Amino acid sequence: MMTTLDTHDSHAHGGSYFDGPPGLLAKIWQWMTTVDHKKIGVMYLFAVLFMFFLGGMAALAVRYELLDPVRTVTELQGTELVESTTGQRLAFLQDIMNAKSPNEVYNRMFTLHGAVMVFMFIVPSIPASLGNFFLPIMLGAKDVAFPRLNLMSWWIYVIGCLIGVFSILLGGVDTGWTFYTPYSTTTDADHYRVVLMVLAAFVLGFSSILTGMNFVVTVHKLRAPGMGWFDMPLFIWALYATSIIQVLATPVIGITLLLLILERTMKIGIFDPSMGGDPVLYQHFFWFYSHPVVYVMILPAMGIISELLAIHARKHIFGYRAIAFSSLGIAAVSFLVWGHHIFTAMGELAAVLFSALTFLVAIPTAIKVFNWVATLYKGSIVLNTPMCYALMFLFTFTIGGLTGLPLATLSTDLHLHDTYYVVAHFHYVMMGGTVIAFMGGIHHWWPKMFGKMYSETGGLIGCALVFIGFNLTFFTQFFLGTQGMPRRYANYVDEFQTLHEISTYGSWILLAGFLVHLVTFIMSLVGGEKASANPWGGLTLEWECESPPIEHNFHHEPIVKHGPYDFESVVPPHCDPKDYPLPQSH
Amino acid sequence: MQTTLDADTTPAPPHIAKHPLHWRNRDYGHHWRNRDEEFDASKFGMWLFLTTEVLLFAGIFCGYAVFRMLYPEAWSNGSHYLDWKFGAANTVVLLISSFTCAMAVRCAQLNQQKWLKINLVITLVCAALFVFIKLKFEYMVKLGDGKAPGTFFSYEYAQNAHEQLWWSLYYVGTGIHALHVVIGASLLGYVLFRSWKYQAYGPTEYTMVENSALYWHLVDLVWIFLFPLLYLIH
Amino acid sequence: MMLSTTTLADSPSILQDWIFGGNAASRAAAQSDAMFLAITWFSIISFVIVIGFAAYCVIKYRRKPGVPVQPSPHHHTLLEIIWTVVPSASLLVFFVLGFRGYADKVVAPANAMELKVDAWKWGWKVTYPNGASSPEQKFLSEQVLNDGLVQQTGLQYPIFYVPEDSDVRLRMHSQDVIHSFWIPEFRTKMDVIPNRYTGYGFRTPKLKAGDTVMHQVDVYPDGSPVLAEVSGRDMWIFCAEYCGDEHSRMAATLRVVPREVFEEKVAEWGRPKSPWLLGQTIWKQQCQICHSIDGKPGTGPTWQGIYGTEGAFADGSTHMRDENYIRESILNPNEKVVAGFAPAMPSFQGSLSEEDLEGLIMFIKSPDRDPTTAGEDGDSAGSEG
Ligand code: HEA
Ligand code: HEA
Ligand code: HEC
Ligand code: CUA
Ligand SMILES: [Cu+2]
Repeated sequence: MMTTLDTHDSHAHGGSYFDGPPGLLAKIWQWMTTVDHKKIGVMYLFAVLFMFFLGGMAALAVRYELLDPVRTVTELQGTELVESTTGQRLAFLQDIMNAKSPNEVYNRMFTLHGAVMVFMFIVPSIPASLGNFFLPIMLGAKDVAFPRLNLMSWWIYVIGCLIGVFSILLGGVDTGWTFYTPYSTTTDADHYRVVLMVLAAFVLGFSSILTGMNFVVTVHKLRAPGMGWFDMPLFIWALYATSIIQVLATPVIGITLLLLILERTMKIGIFDPSMGGDPVLYQHFFWFYSHPVVYVMILPAMGIISELLAIHARKHIFGYRAIAFSSLGIAAVSFLVWGHHIFTAMGELAAVLFSALTFLVAIPTAIKVFNWVATLYKGSIVLNTPMCYALMFLFTFTIGGLTGLPLATLSTDLHLHDTYYVVAHFHYVMMGGTVIAFMGGIHHWWPKMFGKMYSETGGLIGCALVFIGFNLTFFTQFFLGTQGMPRRYANYVDEFQTLHEISTYGSWILLAGFLVHLVTFIMSLVGGEKASANPWGGLTLEWECESPPIEHNFHHEPIVKHGPYDFESVVPPHCDPKDYPLPQSH
Repeated sequence: MQTTLDADTTPAPPHIAKHPLHWRNRDYGHHWRNRDEEFDASKFGMWLFLTTEVLLFAGIFCGYAVFRMLYPEAWSNGSHYLDWKFGAANTVVLLISSFTCAMAVRCAQLNQQKWLKINLVITLVCAALFVFIKLKFEYMVKLGDGKAPGTFFSYEYAQNAHEQLWWSLYYVGTGIHALHVVIGASLLGYVLFRSWKYQAYGPTEYTMVENSALYWHLVDLVWIFLFPLLYLIH
Repeated sequence: MMLSTTTLADSPSILQDWIFGGNAASRAAAQSDAMFLAITWFSIISFVIVIGFAAYCVIKYRRKPGVPVQPSPHHHTLLEIIWTVVPSASLLVFFVLGFRGYADKVVAPANAMELKVDAWKWGWKVTYPNGASSPEQKFLSEQVLNDGLVQQTGLQYPIFYVPEDSDVRLRMHSQDVIHSFWIPEFRTKMDVIPNRYTGYGFRTPKLKAGDTVMHQVDVYPDGSPVLAEVSGRDMWIFCAEYCGDEHSRMAATLRVVPREVFEEKVAEWGRPKSPWLLGQTIWKQQCQICHSIDGKPGTGPTWQGIYGTEGAFADGSTHMRDENYIRESILNPNEKVVAGFAPAMPSFQGSLSEEDLEGLIMFIKSPDRDPTTAGEDGDSAGSEG
């Protein structure tokens, strides 16, 4: 055996994974070049939270502008007619961002918000952070299948984000996160910002593909002895389905964005109507990726929810196989429904087909929701932060999913398309679904990742504020949409003002909620109580490692003897049977 | 002939035999239970990656189909401009290279160090030939005529307003394919370099050879679709 | 258990009014509301069942120290079948109804009046079957002052007239990027795409007693409108597909009026105009969103006093702004880009006729007054802007 390479058990008795070499620079270098999935997961966690912060700030700017309808009025002041533009609250950014008009500042803001949130935050969020950290551990493996590829994917992610942020620093782009042609190929024709932003999305796509491939192979090849497919925790099933979508859908957006870049830089004409190209083709290509990608966002979240509900209700998950298979079902059907985003740009036949298929995709989701709720029945439910977030997920995600139904219905979508109803729908599923589950997951696994407990009071206050703020912000938007408020509007007609104001105030409460979480997390890191190996009494393998785990996760290769949710028959490891008693009648 | 194809039993010079990259010295990743599992996983990963490549090209084929439907005349004119002989020549070149590439894998498995290198060299020569034919007899000539994509299109005798679109798709499709040829050749070049320098591949260590070869086959496969679609169907 | 949206449409509920502002303007629109409402009720019921049950469990099965979990089955085949089949069946119903409602919204009867809709950054133009188009503008605020005069202020939106109680079909086309023609009160929108026709149909409502609008009955000699309150109903038209800076102001008014009024108007606009008036009309319809005539720069430079003076361009050159230059600026705007402005102007090549160009040039020469009538009317200060 060569000494330059790790021998198989050399680190098995080392300390926690983040004990690095002495010296700050050496530590930094070690993190930058690490192939340890846990370190990479932690780096991802902080990076995506930073991107969330960035996107959140843009969201607040968007909401701030919408406090007023903004109208140019000519008022009679004395004897003179004076034109005044009131309430363009973002106008102060116009010079800084070098924009043509205050409206353009707004347009850049929501584009920035959407692009950052989707490409840099939510797509990598759960898989790349919590997934990277826990997927190998929950499988009983020492690492993902290709650790170096994992590191590469992280650095590609960083490069992609840097390109995107660079484009924002140059002033940003005003295309909307969907980059629809021919607007995106003609706007700011004298500038490269759009190309940079599209390039960023393109690069980020590669990172996403690599992570996805890595996970698929890991799940296939690195399960611990004794762990069959149906002994895997549902979080793993969800990540597996997610990875399949990532691998299959992302290349298509890759070629699409590449064509868009060529179109902009060289005018090759494929999407350019003035040259015979087809702008709607772009939309098909775009949504062929971007619809499946909404399930890339939600499936990992659903996986987290399955874990949280089972553990914090101490209950075997109801309908394990139904949940596992519905993940795969969603992944499969998600490729067939992209057309529901462009009902207003396609022929009747296609529209009918896509509408029908869209309804089909709602069914596996409904099955999951029913199974989760049934899991709570006769449980032993503890209302700590992770559980509260899981319950909040049920509440908000169900609203989000159900409001997808009128959008999938042809006749009503003709009215609701491109209104705030759609905006409300997708925030209820993305923010109210993914982000909420992510927050729940972070709290749930925080003790494991950092070895410290967080303050339950802080967590619960933050959770309550987020719940209130979120619903205030976005429930109002359903009514805005049905009553006729189009999306991507910097100005609007007066009658919508009240609802917009409520929505904006809600976004401030949301901010408060996240700040409470931020403070709680920092306090936990600085002075939190030391966490035990298994604070919640979990049965999945990550609770058998130390908190935080050692470098190669396990002291000995684990052998799986019970299912991940056998709370009713197994006393959790490292736990006092007094706290987690078995059912009396067994 | 038969004897030269036998496994390479002559011991490597000591500085190579002791080198950590020599195939006998290679370890496998610490998170694997054994070498075979690691090899299986790598190959599985490669197949997944190839799936993504197929889907990438699927986008182009899709665009091809859509515009073919919209502008059948332009498409028919377009394919008439291409000379099937160059396309066919390149097809043959790629097929040969795929064969030698597959042979290279076999040589690595059988520890035929010399033939491993020879096969790789032939593959690389084919790759260069492909790119040369493409550039010299196709791209250069066509660009010279003004048969360029999109706005650069300036061919005087165009018979159809949408011919520039045909050229756009032609250049994007074959261009991305050519890029893959270059990437594949670089991978194989790297394999060649390492086997030259360290005898890095042998019966227990040929993952890299196998995966690069898989990639090369994909490049070949894509061409097998591009060739008839662009050159033969009118 | 087929839901009938038709009966639902005939008995609108308070909830419906609240959700939509109660302003559905056609039968297809009312049915679409009813459809929406039916799905919403279904959703509310599902939501209450699901979340209600969760809440019940949370309260009933809160963890209490020393109390162990009670065993319960890990799955239940019958239950699972039920909760797969029942939702699937309801979704099938929604799909079918939604499809029928869609057909009603999109397809217009063969004898419907066809309006051609043109869209560009950032405006709409509707052309009537006789080739005429509406020059009228609605102001964001219109107030009748004490002396009976009308003070119009704020942004202006073109008014498109349609006759009451009749079928209309739209044939739409865009000159630049994608827009979307949405009339919320008809609950329908369709994308307006360059190089392709799209469209939909609707039936305009009958006017009711209380429906009145400020309506142009005549023009003062200076071109400003004489308004009066007459029977009619106004609706917003919004651009619903993002199209750039003024996307949120790419609005217009659809005005439903009695048939006689409609016919009179359209006939009136169809009559030939003096070139200057033609130019003014086009300016109002298509250029005003970017070009003022009172000296204020907008997205594009003002037209006040530009004619016959030197213009300075982004590349540092200057050029006399004569007729040829103006013509070129309209047909090929990026040829010479005025200093201080982005090359944001779309080309109007192909969409403006030779006559239109002539008119525009006349108008840009003297935007304040019609030179052919100037002698007669001394104090015709422009009232627009
Ligand atoms: C996390 C992301 C996510 C998820 C999970 C979903 C889930 C769904 N979405 Fe959504 N959607 C988006 C993100 C997401 N969406 C985004 C980002 C956009 C807009 C992009 C843009 O334009 O910028 C969008 C837009 C969008 C449109 C286009 C609207 C338009 O622009 O006109 C449509 C239309 O069909 C749609 C439908 C659906 C449906 C049917 C589901 C279903 O999967 C929902 C299934 C869930 C349930 C049904 C609820 C739970 C079930 C029960 C409580 C049981 C009872 C239910 C039944 C019996 C059915 N979505
Ligand atoms: C993941 C996806 C995501 C998320 C989470 C959000 C979150 C929010 N979004 Fe959303 N939004 C989109 C994705 C998302 N959005 C997309 C794709 C679009 C379409 C864009 C387009 O049209 O092109 C859109 C568009 C959009 C619009 C419509 C703009 C328009 O059409 O004109 C609005 C308007 O209100 C809005 C508001 C908000 C608000 C108030 C939040 C709030 O929830 C944000 C709250 C967050 C914060 C306030 C940050 C706080 C964070 C910290 C303090 C850091 C510390 C954190 C921790 C420790 C956890 N968004
Ligand atoms: C999208 C906004 C927009 C619209 C609509 C628009 N323009 Fe322009 N126009 C501009 C901009 C920006 C410029 C300055 C840059 C340039 O010269 O291209 C300009 C410049 C001009 C000039 C040159 C002015 C000068 O000072 O030299 C003329 C003339 C002109 N436009 C005419 C028209 C006419 C006629 C119409 C309507 C039929 C019209 N424009 C519609 C944006 C617009
Ligand atoms: Cu036109 Cu938006
Ligand atoms: Cu979708």
